[in-house]
Amino acid sequence: MSDADSYGDTYTESQVIMTAVKIIAPFTMTYGLFLTFHGTDTPGGSFQGGTIVGVTVLMLAFAFGIESTRRWIRQSMIVGLVTGGVVIFAGTGVATMALGGGFLEYEAFVDRFGISHYWGMEAVEVGGVALIVSGIIVTLFFATAAGFTPVGDDADHHEMGVGNDD
Amino acid sequence: MIESGLEILASRYAYALMFVLMGIGLYMVIANENLVKKLIGVNLFQTAIFLFFIAVAYVEGGSAPIVPAESGEAVASPLPQVIVLTAIVVGIALTAVGLALVVRIYAEYGTLREDTLREVRADE
Amino acid sequence: MSAIAYSLAVFVLLSAVATALFRDVLSAIVVFAAYSLGMAILYTYLLAPDVAMTEAAIGAGVTTILLLLTIARTTRPSAEEVFERVDVPAVVVVGAFVLVLATLLPDMYAVGTQDAPIWGQGVLSETPTVHYVQEAYAETHAHNAVSAVLASYRGFDTFGEAVVVFAAGIAVLLVLKREVFA
Repeated sequence: MSDADSYGDTYTESQVIMTAVKIIAPFTMTYGLFLTFHGTDTPGGSFQGGTIVGVTVLMLAFAFGIESTRRWIRQSMIVGLVTGGVVIFAGTGVATMALGGGFLEYEAFVDRFGISHYWGMEAVEVGGVALIVSGIIVTLFFATAAGFTPVGDDADHHEMGVGNDD
Repeated sequence: MIESGLEILASRYAYALMFVLMGIGLYMVIANENLVKKLIGVNLFQTAIFLFFIAVAYVEGGSAPIVPAESGEAVASPLPQVIVLTAIVVGIALTAVGLALVVRIYAEYGTLREDTLREVRADE
Repeated sequence: MSAIAYSLAVFVLLSAVATALFRDVLSAIVVFAAYSLGMAILYTYLLAPDVAMTEAAIGAGVTTILLLLTIARTTRPSAEEVFERVDVPAVVVVGAFVLVLATLLPDMYAVGTQDAPIWGQGVLSETPTVHYVQEAYAETHAHNAVSAVLASYRGFDTFGEAVVVFAAGIAVLLVLKREVFA
């Protein structure tokens, strides 16, 4: 147990890693966004792009400390990313249904607004999948990094006192 | 006999590799006592299946599935690739759930070894 | 058919065996990352750049990070010996499993042949694959057929997958009893 406890605070500032990450991070971020936005024309797509954008945050956390990165990224931002992604994805599907098509049948957009089939796909890829994937990658990382802190005394199984981690 | 066997192995190397990797993943799940290594075994088994799908989609002398293809050029099948693509992302999410359970098990019992866990649970 | 594919296959196989046999969990995780990277290169060779990118970012990157975090949060058993003891009954069972599967090998289509049913040969005239390859650009205006299938033809499926990923994130937070996403 003592072994495990000491692990949590083993962050040491390393000039080499910090400098390397400072140089690389803009490029990985750009690459991730490129894959996301350009995924319909070249190999790549929102699953890959979203992951790489998420991994950029993980990289920053490794270089600058998990706790300080956690404070830097606001909780509401991640919630917004993840739930926003699901809402946009589902919303696109429902919108096509409202316009008389099937779920995610983008032809409905073509008929009603004259916008290409292509933009329906982009909405789902960029607005849906990429947001969900990048948000969840960051969530999984921070949740696993935080680990599990037993709540209060183990004897009573109150699940209510969870709010003590802020 | 041996020669034709080798030829079958050479032309179907990806499938042979898949079978062996599935075996290794299964072995890790059965034989390794450490729960984290069991999860690595599950992941290994999973990648073996992915390899099968990708090998099915492959075309000798073709190119990646960018359409419309140059005249007469074969491209790899996009369908199995999409299935694998989404399966990889779902796989990592499920691995994370497994790892979270591992963290909880450790917090509860103080061990990650299956045999010790079984003893501790038998004593309860 | 090429030396690259065979050497990649051997590399992947050796790193898988090493992952299974290393006693130290940290070594196993590092070797598993190498395995994933080898697998990603093999996918690239097999004409699946999209899958290779995902595997390299997720298999070699995120999985490794999550596994490392987990052993940091729990325990890393100290190991005197380098390798695990081989469990003979398990090897026998797994060996039988692999042998049974291997009997299927002669009946499978050679890797990369276009005689397979997926390409519309034999009884099937037009398969989904043939349709996607021929019509995807005309129907969706996307050059990348994988994206076209992902977002358009199989959009409902992708919606399900995305929600599964979302649900898994919620499940991790539930299991660890955290109420915050970050």
